[in-house]
Amino acid sequence: MSEVGISIHGVRKSFGSVEAVRDISLDIHEGEFITLLGPSGCGKTTTMRMIAGFEEPDAGTILLRGESVLGIPPNKREVNMCFQHYALFPHMNVAKNIAYGLKLKKVPKDERDRRVKEMLTIVRLEGYEERKPGQLSGGQQQRIALARALVNRPAALLLDEPLGALDVKLRKQMQLELKRIQHELGTTFVYVTHDQEEALSMSDRIAVMNNGVIEQLGPPRTIYEQPESPFVADFVGVLNAIEFRIHQIDGPDAVMKVGEGERLVVPLAGTGASVGGSLLVAVRPERVWLRVGAEPADAHHASRLGGTIGQMVYLGTLTQFHVDTALGRRIIVHELSDGAMSGAHEGDAVTLSWPRDDAAILHDDQG
Amino acid sequence: MNPAVSAGGRRGLWVSFWLLSIFLYAPIVILIVFSFNDRELVSFPWQGFTVRWYREFVSNPTLVDALKVSMVVALLAAVLTTLLAIPASIALVRRRFFAKPLVSGMLLAPLVIPLVVFGTALLILFNLISVVPFGPFTVAIGHVVISVPFAILTMVPRLERIPIALEEAARDLGASLWTTFRTITLPLLAPAVLSAFLISFTISFDEVVVVSFIAGDTTTFPLYLYSQLRLPRSLPQVIAVAVVVLVASVTVIAASEIGRRISDRKLEGDTAVFDDDEEVVVA
Repeated sequence: MSEVGISIHGVRKSFGSVEAVRDISLDIHEGEFITLLGPSGCGKTTTMRMIAGFEEPDAGTILLRGESVLGIPPNKREVNMCFQHYALFPHMNVAKNIAYGLKLKKVPKDERDRRVKEMLTIVRLEGYEERKPGQLSGGQQQRIALARALVNRPAALLLDEPLGALDVKLRKQMQLELKRIQHELGTTFVYVTHDQEEALSMSDRIAVMNNGVIEQLGPPRTIYEQPESPFVADFVGVLNAIEFRIHQIDGPDAVMKVGEGERLVVPLAGTGASVGGSLLVAVRPERVWLRVGAEPADAHHASRLGGTIGQMVYLGTLTQFHVDTALGRRIIVHELSDGAMSGAHEGDAVTLSWPRDDAAILHDDQG
Repeated sequence: MNPAVSAGGRRGLWVSFWLLSIFLYAPIVILIVFSFNDRELVSFPWQGFTVRWYREFVSNPTLVDALKVSMVVALLAAVLTTLLAIPASIALVRRRFFAKPLVSGMLLAPLVIPLVVFGTALLILFNLISVVPFGPFTVAIGHVVISVPFAILTMVPRLERIPIALEEAARDLGASLWTTFRTITLPLLAPAVLSAFLISFTISFDEVVVVSFIAGDTTTFPLYLYSQLRLPRSLPQVIAVAVVVLVASVTVIAASEIGRRISDRKLEGDTAVFDDDEEVVVA
């Protein structure tokens, strides 16, 4: 395991009667790209602002490279921040914006110029030194903001929804760009966003936050495929959460009989559930197989369910099917638009099926 | 249909517009006209164009002295007002503190306190603390109190439009509070500071009520003007000075207002997010 760069332990913060952050602990490794993901008001921005020094925690400790930063003002902390709306200084040109931090640290002029040039090369805006921020597009402003923070070689870069103000196409581009820059410089990135796709595509690890606590911490794949709470499952992707009544225990699996030839199977995976109990089971829309007629896509699929197409939503490469089933709730399925379901219509009778391992227990509700 | 855009309505609006304009500006026009009239008495008939009143006032030492005193007092008042109003405005916009509405109200209260009352109060106060002799300094102090609300009202809207994130970004990059103020807040606030300074200067320059209580032996320009009204012979001269002062004031205020708008537009443009259409950088 690599060295710990930022260590947050038992941190709490309230604003008046509102508890923004309730007992957060998190170790961020050197060179890691970590994302704090959650809805607005979950405490992610407050957590970041406490690392930056704009808020002081009510309790707990924050260590930066092993030393406590509590009580140290933001200008004395070795971290830098990228602000949501870039916060470039409108009265200074690009070069002066980037050199601002270096000048305060009394870096000699020739070294300052060299490092500004170097940063402009890294963010691919060579030759923009004399421009004013108002003459730049949103994406360019974003990159200058990045350069202005990174030129100081911070112990960690804190990014507060940095791509929020950009359009979709540019956002995708900047995601790649950010990842490339982070890789090139090896700087620790702490990234705050409410966009799960952004988090999944860029992060080494994601901390999913809700109501001031970290619900789950792990690599994107684990977060996406093995959500530990209904909130994480729901927030990180579209998800089918099925209320699963255990009618039978079949070896390592729980079985729910829905109707004639219709049954759902979920691996118990060590949960102490027993017949008569109920579970909350998740199946991802892209894991469900869908075919017109009564036959499942694969005879070996453990779970199968009949239904009718209630609604179809064309999403480009994928089409989203909302299927009415005997479970009393619609199951959402993603199929390739030009795949086996390309000829389907709303109202068609269909069969849903999925392999045993694609169902996971979210919540174990005894009783 | 909106009566304001019907034919009759439009005519009515024009008539009322011109009546109002005449009501507001006729006295000033008459003043300017008479300042060029070659007649000892300030009245018609018109006896020919002259600039002799202007020449006479320039060679009148008492009048020129009064102008100088007013300049000094106004300059002092404007500097002090601006220095006081900058931190006050920042506190009002950026800080949360106990009883803020009350403090804000107290700072702006001089706007509604009658000047006569205020002049009397200052007279009593300065008498009590007799260390301060009546003169240009006491007058400037009085004018600071009158001008501070105007200066604050000029700076607060501008401050409100400077994003806090700019100051936080400076702090984050290593700037102390003072450096942040010096390199970020003040340069962005500068146009409003200049406006506040010029407004304070003009307010002080033509203030006559408070001055008449606390001037002591000092004669400021408005005081001189007022005293000369009893002497019909020097009236044309006084009118000529009044015209000069009028033109100077209007020019200064107009210039500051235009400057403020230009830089406001600049601040707006600089923080605006541009179209991203042309943006293609392959990662």
